Amino acid sequence: MIFTPLNIILFGVVGLLGVGLYGLLITRNLIKVVMVLQILIKAVILALVLAGKLSGHLGLGQSTAATVIVADTIVAVVGLALAVQVRRRFGTLDVPRISTLRG
Amino acid sequence: MELLNFTGLIIIPLVSSPVVYLAGRLGTREITLRGRSYLVRVAAFLALLAAWVPFAASVRTLFLDGTQEFNVSTIWLRVDGISLFMAGCVLLLGTLVILFSGSYMAGEVGEEKYYAMLLAMIGLMIGLVAAGDLFNLWVWFEAMAISSYLLVAFYREQSASLEAGMKYLVQSAAGSVLVLMGIAIVLAQAGTLDMAQITEAVSGSAVNRLALLGAGALFMIGFGVKVALVPLHTWLPDAHSQAPSGISAMLSGAVIEIGLIAMLRALATLTGFALSWGILLMGFGALNILYGNLLALRQTFVKRLLAYSSLSHVGYILLGLGIALSAGIELGAQGAFFHVFNHMLMKGLAFLAVGALMYGMFLQNGSHRALKIEHLAGAAQKYPLAALAFSLALLGLGGLPPLAGFMSKWQIFVAGFQTQNAWIIVLMIFMALNSVLSLGYYAPLVNLMYRREASPKVAAGKPLTWTIALPLIVMSLGVIVLGFFPGLMDWFTVAAGRQFMQMFGK
Amino acid sequence: MAGIIVALVIVLPWAGALAVWLARNKHARLQHALAVLFSVLTAIVSLVLFLFADTEPAIRIPLGKAFGDLTFVPDGLAVLLTAIAAVIGSLAVIFSVDYMHGDAQLGRYYFLVLFFIGAMTGLVLSGNLLFTFFFWEITALCSYGLISFYNDDPKAVAGGIKALIITQVGGVGLLAGTLIAFANLGSFQIADLLAKASALPAMALAWIAFSFLVAAAAKSAQFPFHTWLPDAMEAPTPVSALIHAATMVNAGIYLLARFYPAFEAVPGWRMSVLLVGLVSALIAAVSALIATDLKRALAYSTVSQLGYMVYAIGAEGVFASQFHLLSHAVFKALLFLAAGAVIHSVGTRDMRRMGALGRQMPFVRNVFIVGALALAGIPILNGFWSKELILEIGLEHSPLWAYALMLTGAGLTAFYTLRMVWLVFFGEEREPLHAHAAGLAMKVSLGILAAGTFITWLFFGGLNGLLASTLPIHELERETLLEVLTAILSAPATWFALLIVALGCGLFWLLGRKSALAQGGWLDPFVETSFGFESLNRWIVQVTYQVAERFSVTQTGELNWNILGIVSALLVVLVVLWLGA
Repeated sequence: MIFTPLNIILFGVVGLLGVGLYGLLITRNLIKVVMVLQILIKAVILALVLAGKLSGHLGLGQSTAATVIVADTIVAVVGLALAVQVRRRFGTLDVPRISTLRG
Repeated sequence: MELLNFTGLIIIPLVSSPVVYLAGRLGTREITLRGRSYLVRVAAFLALLAAWVPFAASVRTLFLDGTQEFNVSTIWLRVDGISLFMAGCVLLLGTLVILFSGSYMAGEVGEEKYYAMLLAMIGLMIGLVAAGDLFNLWVWFEAMAISSYLLVAFYREQSASLEAGMKYLVQSAAGSVLVLMGIAIVLAQAGTLDMAQITEAVSGSAVNRLALLGAGALFMIGFGVKVALVPLHTWLPDAHSQAPSGISAMLSGAVIEIGLIAMLRALATLTGFALSWGILLMGFGALNILYGNLLALRQTFVKRLLAYSSLSHVGYILLGLGIALSAGIELGAQGAFFHVFNHMLMKGLAFLAVGALMYGMFLQNGSHRALKIEHLAGAAQKYPLAALAFSLALLGLGGLPPLAGFMSKWQIFVAGFQTQNAWIIVLMIFMALNSVLSLGYYAPLVNLMYRREASPKVAAGKPLTWTIALPLIVMSLGVIVLGFFPGLMDWFTVAAGRQFMQMFGK
Repeated sequence: MAGIIVALVIVLPWAGALAVWLARNKHARLQHALAVLFSVLTAIVSLVLFLFADTEPAIRIPLGKAFGDLTFVPDGLAVLLTAIAAVIGSLAVIFSVDYMHGDAQLGRYYFLVLFFIGAMTGLVLSGNLLFTFFFWEITALCSYGLISFYNDDPKAVAGGIKALIITQVGGVGLLAGTLIAFANLGSFQIADLLAKASALPAMALAWIAFSFLVAAAAKSAQFPFHTWLPDAMEAPTPVSALIHAATMVNAGIYLLARFYPAFEAVPGWRMSVLLVGLVSALIAAVSALIATDLKRALAYSTVSQLGYMVYAIGAEGVFASQFHLLSHAVFKALLFLAAGAVIHSVGTRDMRRMGALGRQMPFVRNVFIVGALALAGIPILNGFWSKELILEIGLEHSPLWAYALMLTGAGLTAFYTLRMVWLVFFGEEREPLHAHAAGLAMKVSLGILAAGTFITWLFFGGLNGLLASTLPIHELERETLLEVLTAILSAPATWFALLIVALGCGLFWLLGRKSALAQGGWLDPFVETSFGFESLNRWIVQVTYQVAERFSVTQTGELNWNILGIVSALLVVLVVLWLGA
C-alpha cells in the first residue's frame, strides 16, 4: 500500500521541494522569490516533523521544526525589507533589471 | 554563570551587541551625535577586548584538560582544537576590524546598527565552531547568516549593495534549506542530532546508505554556498565587493572559513560511507583555484578582484583538507588550517588596506564610489603605509617569501607530495602553476601603487587616522613574522589538524 | 665563528635594506652612504668566509616537520658564489651612487638591491632545499621589483611581470623536485639528497633531475625560457649588471653544479643539459649579432655565456663551469656598468645613435674594451682561460659536432663583441650626443672590475683546491694553476679556438664594420621573436586571457542562473556519491 499517511507526507515534502526549487529557477519577481523560499521552508518543516516521527523522537522533530519557523520568519522579514529598499532604489522588482553586478 | 571559559567568549559579544545598539540610540539631548558615535565605537571595541580574557582561559584549559563540554539549557557546546583555533581567528580579525571601523564608519547613518550586528556576528561565529549538535549548528549558522545579510546591505542608499545583499540572502537561504533537509534525513536515520553520536548510530546495517549519502550531498552543497564552492560562489564577488571594507574583511577572512568548518563538522558525522569526502573536497578545490584566478585576471574593481582571489584561496584550503582526508596525511590539515589563519591575516589586511585607501580618497571627500584599479596609481606617495600593507598582503597572497602565504602553501605542497600519489602530485603542480598565474594580477597592482605619477584621486586624497593605521601595522607585522617563523602557529594548527583527523576517524 | 660569519653575510645586507628604508627618501645622501656601508661590509665578510670554508653546516636550527632543519653550509661552491654576489653587489651599489644620483624613491631601489644581495647569499649557502627555494623566490621578487623600478614606463612593467612569471614557472620545477625528494627521503637536506641519490627509485630521481633542469633553465634564461632576460633590461643598469648578469642568473648554473653528482647517472640528463646550453649559447649569440640596443646586446651575450656554463656541466666540467661563472661575473659586470656609464651620460641605449663616444669618455672606453676582450676570449684576460677550459672539456667529453658548434659560438662572440665596441666608441659620430665623463664612484667600481678581469684567473689553483676539498661528493679533479696553464697552452685545440676567435674579429673588421648597422635581413624575424618563443609566450598569455573572458560569462549576475548553479552542483554531487557507493 503506497498511500500510507507517512508516504503522503513524504510526497508532500518532495513535492514542495520540487515546486520551491523550480520556482527559484524561474521566478523573476523579488517578492515572489521570497515567497518561493517560504515554500521551501515549509517542505523542510514537514520533513523535520516526519523525520521525528520516523525515528521515534517526535519531540525532537517538532521542536526543531518550531525553531526553523522562528528563524525563517526573520529571514523572510529581512528579505522583504531588502525587497522594499530594492523597489525604492531601482524602481522595479524584476530580477534581470536589478542585476547590474556581473563578470 | 562562569564567564571565564568558552561560554564567556560567546556571551560577551552577544550581550554587548544590544547594549551597544541601545547606547547608540540614547535619545537624550545632552549627548551630541558625535559623542554618541564615539561611545558606540569605544563600547564595541572594549567588549571585544574583554572577550580575549575568556579566550586565553579556554586556551589554557584546552591544553591542560583537552576537549571541554558545556551545556547551557538546550545548547550543547563542545570546545576542541578546531573551535579554539577558529575562535581565535574570528576574535583577532574582529578586534582589528572594529578598531579599523572606528574612523571608517564614523558618521554613517546607522553606525550603532553596524557595530551591534558586527558584534553579534562575531559572537555567533564563535558559537558555531563549538556547536555540539547538528541542529544547533544550523541555528548558529542561520543567525550568523542573517546578521551578515544586514551588514552586506549596510549602505542602503546604494543600489549595488542592496542588489548584492538580496542575492546573498536568497542564495544563502536556499543553501540553508538544503542543510535542513540533510538534517531531517540524518534525524530520520540516526534518531539523534548529537554530532558525537551520529557516526555510531548510522554505522549499523539498518540505515539507508543512499539516503545518508544524499544527506552528505545536501550538507556539502548547503554549507557550500557559504564556503563559495564553484559553482555556488556567484553571490560572493557581489557581496564582498559591495559591503563596507571592514565587513569585506570579515566575510573573506572569517565567514567563509566558518562556513567551511560547519560543513566539515556536518560531513564528519557521516564518515565511513563509500567514497571519501576528501576526493570531493579536492575536486571543488581545484575548480575554485582555477576559476577564482581566471576571473580575478579580468577585474577592474579592486575589491571584486580580491573577492575572486578569495575563491582561489578557499581552493587551496580545500585541497589541503582533501589531501588529509583521502590520504590520511595530518600535515595536509595542519597546512590547511595554517592557510586559514594566513588567509585571514592577508585577505583581511588586503581589504582593510583597500578600505584605508578608499577612506582617504573617497569617503573623506564624501563619496561612496568603488575603488578602481587605475585609482591605485601612485598611491604610495600619499599613503605609504596603506600601499606597503596592501603590497605585503598581495605578495603574501601570491605566495612569495618571506611572507606568511608562502609557508602555509608550502605545508600543503609538502603534504600533497608526501602522498606519493601521481594524481595528487599533478594536482599540486596545477596548484603551483595557478599560484604563478595569480601573480599575474597581484603583482601589477603593487607596481601601480609605486608609480611616480599619482592618479588625480590620490592627489586629492585626505590623510588617514591612527585607528585605521594601527590594524594595518599589526597585520603587516603578522604577515612578515609568520613568513620567517612559521613555527609560531604550530601549537594552534597542530591541535586543530589533529582534531580534524579525529573528527573523520582517521 | 663560521656560524657568525655566515649569519652576518645574510643578515648584514638585510639590515642595510631596513636601514636604508628607515632613512626615508628625504635623506638621499644618508641612503647612499648606508647602502655603500652595508654592502661593502658584506663584501668584506664574504671574503673572510673563504677562511671558514667547510663541508659541514655552520648553522643548524630545527624548524619542525614540514620545514626540516634550517642549515647553512659554507662549502667551496657556496663561498665562491657568496663572494661573487657580495663583492659585485657592493661595486654595483657604489656605482649606483653616481648612477642613481637625484633619482626619486631611492629607498625602494636600495632596499630591493640589498635585500637581493642577502637573498642571493642565502640561496647559495642554504643546505636545506626548502630555504634554497625560499631564497630563490625572494631573488625573483627583488628582480621583479627592480626591473619594474621605472614603473611609469609600460615597457618596464611588462618586462618585470614577464621575468617574474617565467622564473616562477621555473620555481615550480624547483618546488616539485624538492618535494619529490622529500617524499622519498624524508629530508630537505641537500647533503642527504646527494648522498642517497643512488638509493632513490630511478623514476623519482629522473623527475627530480629534470624538474631541477627546468628550474635552472628558467632562472638562467636558458632555452626555452630565454625570452625574459632581454626584456629585463628595462631595469636600472647597475641592477642589470648585478642581478641579470653577475648573480641571480647564475643561480641556475649553481643548482645544476650543486646536484651534478646526484643526477649525472640519470639517463639522458647530461645530454639534455648539454643541449640546453648549446642551443642557448648559439641562438643568443646570433641574436647579439644584430641587436641595436646596447643593453639588449649585452643581455643576449649573457644568455650565450650562461649557455657555455650549462654546456660545460653537461660535459662533466663542473669546475670549468664555475670558473667561467667567476670570470663572466667579473667581466660582464664590468661591461654592464661601463655601458651604464655611457647610457647615463648620453641618455639613450640605442647604439644606432651612439658612435665615436670614445674620445669624450676615454676611461669608460678603456675599461669597456678590457671587458670586451675578456668576453671575446682574448689572452691573457680571465675570459680566455675559462672559455678555453670549457672548450677543452667539451672536446674531451661531448660529441664532436657539439664542440664544433660551441667553437663557432666563440667566433660569433668575438664578432658581436667587436661590433659593440665599434658602434659605441669608434666609427663616425652619428648624432651629436653630449657625453660627460664618468663620476668618481663609477670610476672606482669600473676600475676594480677591470683589474679583476686581469687577475681573477690567477685564483684557479686556490679555488680548485678549495672546491675539491670541501665538495668530496663531486670528486673534482685537482689541478694547480701551472698545470692548467700548460695544459691549455700546449693543447692544439686552444690555438685552433684562438684562430676561430681571430677569424671572428677579422670577419667583423673586413665585412662587419661597414654594415654593422644594416638590418640582419632574414635573421631579423627570428631574433625579434626569440626564435619563435616570444610568440609562444604571447600565445599562452592570449589564450589565458581568452579563457578568462569566456569564463566570466558564467558570472551572469542574475539570481535565477545563480540558483541553477546550486541545483546543478547538488545533482552532480549526488550522482558522484551514489555512483561511488
